[in-house]
Amino acid sequence: MTTQELSGPATFSTVEASRSNLWKDALARLAANRLAVVGIIPIILLFFIAIFGPYLTPYDFLAQDFTARLAPPSSVHWLGTDELGRDVFSRILYGARTAVSVGVISTVISLVVGIIMGSLAGYLGGRVDMMVVWLTDVTRSMPALLLAIVINLTLKVPLEAWLEQMYLQTKNTFFRQTMWVDLVLVFGALALIQWPGYARLIRGQILSIRSRNYVLAARALGMPTNRILTRYVIPNAMGPLIVAVSAGLGGAMVLESAFSFLGVGVQLPIPSWGKMISDGLRLWQTHSYLLVGPAAMMAIITVSFAWLGDGLNDALNPRQWKE
Amino acid sequence: MSELLEVQDLQTRFKVRKGYVYAVNGVSFRLEEGETLAVVGESGCGKSVTMLSLVRLLPPAGRIESGQVLLRGDDLLALDQRQLRDVRGGQVGMIFQDPMTSLNPFINIGTQMAEPLLYHRGMSKKDALARSAELLEMVGIPDGVARLREYPHQFSGGMRQRVMIAMAMSCEPSVLIADEPTTALDVTIQAQIVELVKELRDRSGVAVIWITHDLSVVAGIADRVIVMYAGYIVEEAPVDAIFEDPRHPYTVGLLGALPSLGGETGTRLTTIGGAPPDLAELPTFCPFHTRCPFVIDRCRSENPMLEPVSGASDRGHRAACWVDIRGVTEQTGGTVATEQ
Amino acid sequence: MGKYVAQRIVYWIPALILLALAVYAMAFYGAGDPIKLMFLREEGDVTYDAQRLDAIRREKGLDRPFLVQFGEYTWHLLQGDLGMSVISGRSVNDMVGATAPVSFQIGIATVFLVAIFGIPLGIIAGLHHNEWLDNLILGSALFISGVPSYVVGPMLMVFLVLGLGVMNVPYGWDGLFSTKAILPLFVMVFGSIAIIIRQTRSGMLEVLSEDYVRTARAKGVPEFMVIIRHMLRPVLTPVLTVLGQMLIGIVNGAIIVEKVFGIPGLGRLTIDFTYGVDYPVIVAITLIGAFLVMALNLLVDITYPLLDPRAAQAMTGVEE
Repeated sequence: MTTQELSGPATFSTVEASRSNLWKDALARLAANRLAVVGIIPIILLFFIAIFGPYLTPYDFLAQDFTARLAPPSSVHWLGTDELGRDVFSRILYGARTAVSVGVISTVISLVVGIIMGSLAGYLGGRVDMMVVWLTDVTRSMPALLLAIVINLTLKVPLEAWLEQMYLQTKNTFFRQTMWVDLVLVFGALALIQWPGYARLIRGQILSIRSRNYVLAARALGMPTNRILTRYVIPNAMGPLIVAVSAGLGGAMVLESAFSFLGVGVQLPIPSWGKMISDGLRLWQTHSYLLVGPAAMMAIITVSFAWLGDGLNDALNPRQWKE
Repeated sequence: MSELLEVQDLQTRFKVRKGYVYAVNGVSFRLEEGETLAVVGESGCGKSVTMLSLVRLLPPAGRIESGQVLLRGDDLLALDQRQLRDVRGGQVGMIFQDPMTSLNPFINIGTQMAEPLLYHRGMSKKDALARSAELLEMVGIPDGVARLREYPHQFSGGMRQRVMIAMAMSCEPSVLIADEPTTALDVTIQAQIVELVKELRDRSGVAVIWITHDLSVVAGIADRVIVMYAGYIVEEAPVDAIFEDPRHPYTVGLLGALPSLGGETGTRLTTIGGAPPDLAELPTFCPFHTRCPFVIDRCRSENPMLEPVSGASDRGHRAACWVDIRGVTEQTGGTVATEQ
Repeated sequence: MGKYVAQRIVYWIPALILLALAVYAMAFYGAGDPIKLMFLREEGDVTYDAQRLDAIRREKGLDRPFLVQFGEYTWHLLQGDLGMSVISGRSVNDMVGATAPVSFQIGIATVFLVAIFGIPLGIIAGLHHNEWLDNLILGSALFISGVPSYVVGPMLMVFLVLGLGVMNVPYGWDGLFSTKAILPLFVMVFGSIAIIIRQTRSGMLEVLSEDYVRTARAKGVPEFMVIIRHMLRPVLTPVLTVLGQMLIGIVNGAIIVEKVFGIPGLGRLTIDFTYGVDYPVIVAITLIGAFLVMALNLLVDITYPLLDPRAAQAMTGVEE
């Protein structure tokens, strides 16, 4: 009746056919975003240093040079030495290991928990959904640093006592290392803080995709659930998930350093930037290089993550795919 | 009748990621005082963009590249922002396609209706509200005073369009631009809205530009019709001539797609196969040639100009086509276009 | 409306109880024996007489089951009694009362500053979408949103005090309107302003393409009034929803900033007792923090429909 109907019938296959192009487009959009490209470089470097750090550092991070304690930056010690005569530059490079390992592991843990909880909520709906949403709201109302402090403060002593007991019983040196307690506590705190974000994301994706016309159409045509999952739900959720993981990874590193800064972080044998900043803060008026080195490193990495995250968001945001 | 609005060689294009979209490509037309002009064409033909260009309400990506829009001799495209504001809502009223989104959901109806009166008539808030209540009743919404305090979501679609009309007419404009005002409404409501506009037009003598893709509305309301395709005017004629003596294949196609109450039952509506060209560059050919059943070689290499048609009953009948389709339609027995 | 408010309250109250239970349980089972800690404080002696300890424990009611003690703690909490510090022996109420005003001043000043700078910046960026001004504002917001306050604070101190020498060492607290407050507040605003700028900007972009803004312009409403009357409310209403997130950021930021600048606030109280395992203090502060965030969320939930007439209809089911 109206001329809108004049145009040819909409082709049903366009949605699927264009999917691979969408990823290519997204990559092209990311490459075109100057800030994002600039942001990727320090992040790649960070991972590189984290893996190959020991081969790059001029000194061991524990090596103490008693002749050069609190030495200012020089050709021997590029960023100077700390109170114990340890080379600051080497310690910063080793700090990348702490940041990356804590960031990656805690992100994986919270991602797994988040995906499971989010999928349960999205698919089962009803009571389960209500419970999960409520639980995420409760957890998200908790200021992260307070939570970490409480966890560290209350659980550290009994866990260490338990390890000690296990060691006495089994004589297994595995239980001798109290480092495990720190790791469990820090990862636990980070996962607790971050899982609700992933859970809500996954839940939202499932709910929105379930109601989309092409999925309804596929269901009406009798496509089995697992095919709908692999064909529509997972590819669609990938974009927002990549954005969230990138942000989460950066966020976990920031939090890890914040914990260390406050003295509730991982007491690993290798240095943490947050701890270095906090130590540097005691002597900043006389030996500011102790503070500036790790702080600058932290700033570069966090800004890089922000830029990359924004670029990924622009490139992968499904709302822009419609255009 | 004297000339009210004259549009000359209007060109508007949109900047997109890769280059431009040429939405309006040298459109010229005139509107007499009190006249009703229908602008017809399918989605994306540039009819809405043309009308938004007249009062410079284009979205940020759109730019008017050239042309003149003379309203009683003043070029609207040359006015500064202040003068332009006096025109918008004062001399030119506008109604839009979707009444559900055209009213601000955060503000009550009264405040929204009072605005044109405040800014163009210098009324006090109290007077403006009193007048708004009268206007509401004029467009068929009873209990105006009480309804002014309500919010858009408390009105139905048809009611909201009535509010839009009352608002557009509140300062007694000389031109009312109605951009597909019935498209988003139920069929029964559509007829009511058309009747309302006709009634207000006859009472106030406002000139109306009625944009639509629905030819069935045109016959009842318009004096003249402009048919647009791919950013060009392809045919312009008095309303009777459009229905009885269409000269552009596209117009014929539009008419073929129109169901007739008196027509034979059981015959299928004809549709125009294919899709309009994308407007990424200006065509050096007739933009309709890919869908046209009368296509000749010249159509593929030269874009026809809008010119007076031969043997027309009215001097204002113009079309942009290389072929005189009168002879050809008879041969093909009226079946103009079939699906490809 | 009343029913809706009741629903939201019922939603958040169990949340607070769950949180209190979890934190209290961690403290109860984890933090170590408070009586031993008390002895450690009073007599500086780690050797103790087990029988005497038990007697005191019975006397203080600390030998009763967990749930009984939790119930008692909650009961006192509801009466506004936060308990006793294990280490200092002082009432937690006094400790919180002495430090909370400082933290609240910092928090409220931060919200205020973030709003008066962030919202206009977001609006300007949105109005100049994709122009250099937008790029500058958004770029800066992106830049500062990432850098944590424990980096910004120390770096600024080094730069302003050692580098430029324009400032004395900003350590301690002389009230909100003293020069010592400038740097901490700057760091706090720095950490929270990006959320508001980005939310306002994206809201502007959304609203700018709304049909009703076109309608307002088609009516000849002056551009300034289009922004104030037609765009501000739809833009700012969703900004409310990031307030909760912002408050969490402010609490986190305050803990860091109070440590960096030696400000005697709630955050500092938390840090000072971290090594001392003064769990009643930590539990109290944690609950205060969570309570503030939940109360704010509840407030946002309740005010949202007041600001968005459509939401009011959807949430409370007001008939047409």
